[in-house]
Amino acid sequence: MTQKLLIAAAVLSLLLSGCAQNAPEVEGSGSNITDGSDIGGDTVSIDESGGANGGSSGNYNSSSDGFRSVYFGFGDYGISSDMQSNMSTNVRVGSSASAKIKIEGNCDEFGTDEYNYALGLKRAKVVKDSLAAQGVSPSKMVLVSFGESSPVCTEPTDSCYDRNRRVDLRLVR
Amino acid sequence: MPNIFKMLLVLSLLVPRLFAADAKLKIEKDVDQRVRIALVDGSASQSSKVFDIFYSDLKISGHFLADTAHHKGDIASNFINPALKSQEYILLYSLNQQSGTQLKVRLLKGSDGSQLFEKSYAIPTADKMPFLIHKAVSDINDVLQYPDISWLTRYVVYAVYATPGKSEIRLADYTFNYKKTIIRGGLNLFPKWADKEQRALYYTSYKGVLPTLYKLDIHTGAKQSIVSSDGMLVCSDVNNNGTKLLLTMAPDGQADIFEYDLSSGSKKRVTDFQGIDVNGKYVDNEGSMVFVSNRLGYANVFKKSIHSSSTSQVVHHGRNNNACDAHGNKIVYSSRESNNASGGNAFNLYLASSGGLDTRPLTTTGTNQFPRFSYDGAIILYLKQSGRGSSIGYINLASQQSLLFPFNDRKIQSIDW
Repeated sequence: MTQKLLIAAAVLSLLLSGCAQNAPEVEGSGSNITDGSDIGGDTVSIDESGGANGGSSGNYNSSSDGFRSVYFGFGDYGISSDMQSNMSTNVRVGSSASAKIKIEGNCDEFGTDEYNYALGLKRAKVVKDSLAAQGVSPSKMVLVSFGESSPVCTEPTDSCYDRNRRVDLRLVR
Repeated sequence: MPNIFKMLLVLSLLVPRLFAADAKLKIEKDVDQRVRIALVDGSASQSSKVFDIFYSDLKISGHFLADTAHHKGDIASNFINPALKSQEYILLYSLNQQSGTQLKVRLLKGSDGSQLFEKSYAIPTADKMPFLIHKAVSDINDVLQYPDISWLTRYVVYAVYATPGKSEIRLADYTFNYKKTIIRGGLNLFPKWADKEQRALYYTSYKGVLPTLYKLDIHTGAKQSIVSSDGMLVCSDVNNNGTKLLLTMAPDGQADIFEYDLSSGSKKRVTDFQGIDVNGKYVDNEGSMVFVSNRLGYANVFKKSIHSSSTSQVVHHGRNNNACDAHGNKIVYSSRESNNASGGNAFNLYLASSGGLDTRPLTTTGTNQFPRFSYDGAIILYLKQSGRGSSIGYINLASQQSLLFPFNDRKIQSIDW
């Protein structure tokens, strides 16, 4: 009798210890249904090629219409003294331009996301302000930042990165 | 009587030992509360890719400790291999892709083989197979009453640079086993989901003279022009009910943040700074936003009330914190931790709160960028670049589980999910 009680007590204790396993209790078998409707919905594929402007114009990699690109240091958006010659050219061409001037800011590949586009914009803005200060009408100029999207050089070299930190200018056609 | 004494003596010795063992077990379970589960493949044609997706789903859920072995078995049988009886659950599955995709799953108790759940799924195509698996694992998770993991079934949308001046916007499942280009041609950037249901997305098009924000219904192809801006235009965030946007715009050539009301078409300037203000993300029930600004001379994360001028610095660490995301009052940001013009800079991710407290590192090596919270805030997605190439990473904040999937795509521009 005592032996039976001992065994029963031991079994009870073991069962109690098993209760520490806190696996969730679930209902019985679920229904066998087909459910893929919310996954199978098809999605479109659209082609945005074409358009009068933008980075796909084919002129992304340099200034055109007589303008000269302006280059910047790593993380900088100030025009350095060795770019003054290029800016003088841009003032001369810009002053006589009859069409609007598009000023495009560009960056190297190391920035991320929005901040790099804002950095490209700062570069474009400083070129616009400089042109305006030297007589080019601000109403003739539009700014666009292309961030790191339009490199003229894709080699992993310092000289290549230097060429991508730039502002290009061209006329809007 | 002596026998009763003997019994009490034995019990007094036995019971404390059992409870001591329990206490030890409890401590271990506090450390790792995941339940053990084994995958048994009952498919006619067994695939390691399918197994890997199941395994990844279970692992990143944070609720399961999945057996790494790819077991084979009979989908119809309730027999449990004795070697698997220590597993709490057995997930039997059978996947067929001879015509479309059909998936059947059964969840059995490891101890006795009793069935807890059974379901079949079917779609007419093969390419969306990963979504069937994600849905099945999410359903099993729900049946077991664990916290929701339906983020598994959501699309990731991302833009990649194709060639200089051209990009593509693509959809993927979170593992990137499914990928589809939905916008090609031209320069189209910064995709952002327009609604929780992922029916539509916003993106910036450079097709015209000025950057223009469009909304695209991904199922019908209906496209709507929202707004244009001089300089730059990015949809950084969408409020909970999809009626307002935080946009980075530059009407005066300065990148500032605006709140755009979709119903009225009106925009409200939220920041007005002569430097860089970008990357606005709603926090604190949409009464405030966090954003990235260089107002201290370097990129850092700040918080500002949407309706007043009150602005405060959120992050007091690092000298170049140039991207962030937010969910509720949680913030994740990437910090550039070196300053090398030749590349190879280390970027790490940090988790903080909108109150600026409790900053902790999430990554410690490599280049870790583009952090994005899942829609429920439980998981962080990011892009990791190291000597071994690029990967898409996921960090489960609650369980500390992390996963990396190879990212063999072009250079990423922006990502959302």
